[in-house]
Amino acid sequence: MSIEIRQITKTFDQFSALTDVSFTVPQGELTALLGPSGSGKTTLLRIIAGLEVPDAGAVLFDGQEATMRSASERKVGFVFQHYALFRHMTVFENVAFGLRVKPKPARPSEAAIAAKVHELLGLVQLDRMAERLPSQLSGGQRQRVALARALAVQPKILLLDEPFGALDAKVRQELRRWLRRLHDEIGITSVFVTHDQEEALEVADRVVVLNEGRVEQVGTPGEVYEHPASPFVYKFLGNVNLFHGRVEGNKVHLGEFTLDLPAGTPAPAVPPVAYARPHLLDIDHQPTTRPQFRATIQRINTAGSVVKVEVVGPSGAVVHVELSQERYRALALRKGAEVYVSIKDLATFTAQNMLGGGI
Amino acid sequence: MSAERLPLTEPPFVRRLLIGVTLAYLGLFLLVPLAAVFAKALERGLALYWASVTDPAAVAAIRLTLVTAAIAVPLNTIFGLAAAWAIAKFDFRGKQILLTLIDLPFSVSPVISGMIFVLLFGAQGLLGPWLAAHDVHILFAVPGIILATLFVTVPFVARELIPVMEAQGSEDEEAALTLGAGGWQMFRRVTLPNVTWGLLYGVILCTARATGEFGAVSVVSGHIRGRTNTVPLHVEILYNEYQFSAAFAVASLLCLLALVTLAAKSVAERKRTLAVEPRSAP
Repeated sequence: MSIEIRQITKTFDQFSALTDVSFTVPQGELTALLGPSGSGKTTLLRIIAGLEVPDAGAVLFDGQEATMRSASERKVGFVFQHYALFRHMTVFENVAFGLRVKPKPARPSEAAIAAKVHELLGLVQLDRMAERLPSQLSGGQRQRVALARALAVQPKILLLDEPFGALDAKVRQELRRWLRRLHDEIGITSVFVTHDQEEALEVADRVVVLNEGRVEQVGTPGEVYEHPASPFVYKFLGNVNLFHGRVEGNKVHLGEFTLDLPAGTPAPAVPPVAYARPHLLDIDHQPTTRPQFRATIQRINTAGSVVKVEVVGPSGAVVHVELSQERYRALALRKGAEVYVSIKDLATFTAQNMLGGGI
Repeated sequence: MSAERLPLTEPPFVRRLLIGVTLAYLGLFLLVPLAAVFAKALERGLALYWASVTDPAAVAAIRLTLVTAAIAVPLNTIFGLAAAWAIAKFDFRGKQILLTLIDLPFSVSPVISGMIFVLLFGAQGLLGPWLAAHDVHILFAVPGIILATLFVTVPFVARELIPVMEAQGSEDEEAALTLGAGGWQMFRRVTLPNVTWGLLYGVILCTARATGEFGAVSVVSGHIRGRTNTVPLHVEILYNEYQFSAAFAVASLLCLLALVTLAAKSVAERKRTLAVEPRSAP
């Protein structure tokens, strides 16, 4: 089932949680609502579930108006951040709940319920835990029970609120890969809320970036990472260096860099701002022909697949650079060394990384 | 080697002093009077004790007390559930006023509570002439006693349930909704089981007060032996007639009830604490 969000606005008292939010979730896709806390992402998820009513705008399921349908009529599976498992029921009864509350004619037989519950517990790899109480499970297990419970009523849409938020890093990693595989197996249209950009980029087919109740950008993980539509998206999706610029004659000063303004280009009306991901910068011991500045190495972190180097420019600004392990070994960098920091590929840089002006 | 001392542990003499003061206080003001009640009740032997509690007037008083509790407790349980549900799970105008109203019987002296009903239903009261004309007896009759008891026991169940329900939040109910449950199913299968022990705790306190209430009931009862006397009122009458052994014998019944209530309460309390424990614990 596809979801269409049409110009949703929601205000709590004086606080406007969502302002004119529109996007669509195509059938069968896994979409992430990504944003910092207070960006309205959970409110939006609750509006889709029918747990919250928008002040204006509409929610459409498969093109059908659903804004005023109650939560119990929507056939939407919802996994709560803290799972909201029924603490007085066993795992089995938790999963069976949605089947037991069906109106009599639609209610499956006891044997059919048992079969369905065991099938789902098998799917989430918890079949042996059926008789336990939620309090006897670990966080990751509770999460999977909550998921099985939501899937029991065969929802057309699955909504997950910070599904991995309360878990430790290792379980988180495993569970999100597992969720991705599960999604590919059952192919249900899913939306999950997260504040973790890495999680959104790794798991989702499509990312909706929210900030202060507005949609900043909608796109595939590649699109939002490589072509951010706003300074916010650029900054929110990973580590980034920000260079404020000013124009002097035919030169542009961008932070520590000085670039030539191409001949015939009119001077930009607003001061340009450039963003550079750390991997777009390079370090050398000798001056190069590229735009560069002299800097001192302040910190080196070699843990991980890339080496993260922090340098300080003449003005005292801190710039982050990422080098491959090979490059790092070839340069033999050490803390305190004087180096040159340069832009790897100027053409791509000016085409993609200039915002609020452009050269 | 000296014994290991935890940072928040007081030195031994302070601990002994605190425990000693507490025990002495409890002994002086609770245990000694309680023992005195039973001692006095059995002073003239078991035969008189038995005769006192099986006296027709005593039996009638016990029956009236039980009937009153059997009506007041269920009504206040239903009211308490509804009020706590509304207050804990929903936001609405006048919520604070409702909370204050629920607390009113706590803050008003029981005698005043009784007087309210006299003002309403008495011969010179607001509804008195109409009631007299239609031959309805409320004051100095069983309905008055039940009404007064209802009034003073209003807060117990609601007051117990509100914090429990507030601590649990609405997520469980929302989960039930998204799974297709209707309002009644949500209440019966999720909300009610979640508050069972808190509810029981409130019901126990409510019962204790309903059976033990003196002031309000005394004002509206009229003290007609065998008809409008509850157990506490009966005790007072016997005492005023210098039948000390009989008075204490009947009083010991109330004490026994209180002890049973206390035991039930401590069980409910322990279970209730378990129910509100944070759910995100690993």
